[in-house]
Amino acid sequence: MNINDEDDIGVVFRKTLGHYTVRTHGREIDCGLSSLIHKQLIFPTADPTSLRHRVQEVREIDHVDPVAIGDRVRYAQAGDGTGMTPLASTHSKEASGVIVEVLPRDSKLSRPAPVPGQRVFEQVIVSNADLVLPVFSVASPTPRWGLLDRYLVSAEAAELPSLIVINKLDLAWKNPGFDEEIEIYRRIGYPVLLVSAVTGEGIDELKQALQGRQSVMVGKSGVGKTSLLNAIQPGLGLRVKAVGKGELGKGRHTTTHLEMFELDFGGTLVDTPGVREFGLWDVAAEELVYLFPEMAEYVGQCKFGLSCQHDREPGCAIRKAVIAGAISPYRYQSYMKLREEL
Amino acid sequence: MRANLASFGDFRCAHCHALVSSAHLLSGVNNRNHCPYCLWSCHLDLFAAGDRLSACKAPMRPIGLTMKKSRNKYQREPRGELMLVHECTECRTLSINRIAADDDPETVMAVFRESLSPGQRVQAACQEYGILILKAEDTRIVQTQLYGHTVEVPAMSWR
Repeated sequence: MNINDEDDIGVVFRKTLGHYTVRTHGREIDCGLSSLIHKQLIFPTADPTSLRHRVQEVREIDHVDPVAIGDRVRYAQAGDGTGMTPLASTHSKEASGVIVEVLPRDSKLSRPAPVPGQRVFEQVIVSNADLVLPVFSVASPTPRWGLLDRYLVSAEAAELPSLIVINKLDLAWKNPGFDEEIEIYRRIGYPVLLVSAVTGEGIDELKQALQGRQSVMVGKSGVGKTSLLNAIQPGLGLRVKAVGKGELGKGRHTTTHLEMFELDFGGTLVDTPGVREFGLWDVAAEELVYLFPEMAEYVGQCKFGLSCQHDREPGCAIRKAVIAGAISPYRYQSYMKLREEL
Repeated sequence: MRANLASFGDFRCAHCHALVSSAHLLSGVNNRNHCPYCLWSCHLDLFAAGDRLSACKAPMRPIGLTMKKSRNKYQREPRGELMLVHECTECRTLSINRIAADDDPETVMAVFRESLSPGQRVQAACQEYGILILKAEDTRIVQTQLYGHTVEVPAMSWR
């Protein structure tokens, strides 16, 4: 194996069960993962100037998957470089390279991933993204606004802008109260785009928003994330299933792996499998209020100042703002629910 | 669980500090609204019972009883279900709530007796909300709803 400096750096575009597709210079390489990434070498600190580094201990690093979609990675090619495959012949079953290093991330969108019998680990859904698209549908399934709040808070925690995309506008007749509900988010200042993958309404505006950016779509199963991707760029050949009729409008998990797509008009888009549960990772209870933009301006104005929990304390400025109508009671309820989880 | 938590679980009454179970088997209602011992409530609901959307969260005082009209027009007596009227001690919102199966009937009667001479503010608030507080002439209805029908047994003569 040989490791060069710039030549052997690529971006992880796809991953399925231990296989990573790294794209570099217009080519794709199937990569495995070096065991080095799972481990941390501990050196003695008694003599840091010593030239001979003797490994004192090898520790396993705790994470679900050390490599995320969108990661810039350094890889080592297998053998003489025959591992490089042209774009047409992807999905080689044998790994033809090994990822040896994950380069520092500009941003990451994470959630806690419970591993049965063990403690909770961080699961990075996508890294180096610069736009989060929470995708919901007007109906079938009806929007769960609490889940949208979780996505928005996660994006705020990652310091990423969000663009709320509401799909299935053609089914608006099924949900008459929808306009009023989405208005809550418009008033806060979140951009909202109403689209329909069936009629094509709003798709041009969506393309404009995605142009030149690395975006990630998140949303519950069945809201039409993959249909949107097909509407944005026909011919990607993605599977789409109808929402199950006997399952109360729940999706059927069409997409089962993470993948990043290059868009013809510039930019990339990550399609994620439908997520029904979405916890917050690495957010302290005291910080949570700052991740609700409409509440942040009231912090410090409570009777108990920064010590206020915004629950039952007398003179809470945030509760007063909710009662006065300046903050949506639904958003306040989301805040309280998330706070109880932290 | 945290004390006084706004949830559908068990809670400790903020007024009398009794531990209250939310089990449907005990209360007979889906959303436990008030303490069955002191009948005080908490201002948690905003648009509908059980939505838990109110940010007020102040204690709610039981101020009287009212009657919810029954939908069953074929029943023998034209009466409905006995309901408790609560008033928020902070924002003065009124709400009408079902009496749970395990609510203390003596305390309900005490609330009823106290409500027979309501203050001007409560009267005005009830008028504004269109709530008819039960009066002294409704005592028999309240007793019947709480304790059941009283049947007068004729005296037996042995001769």
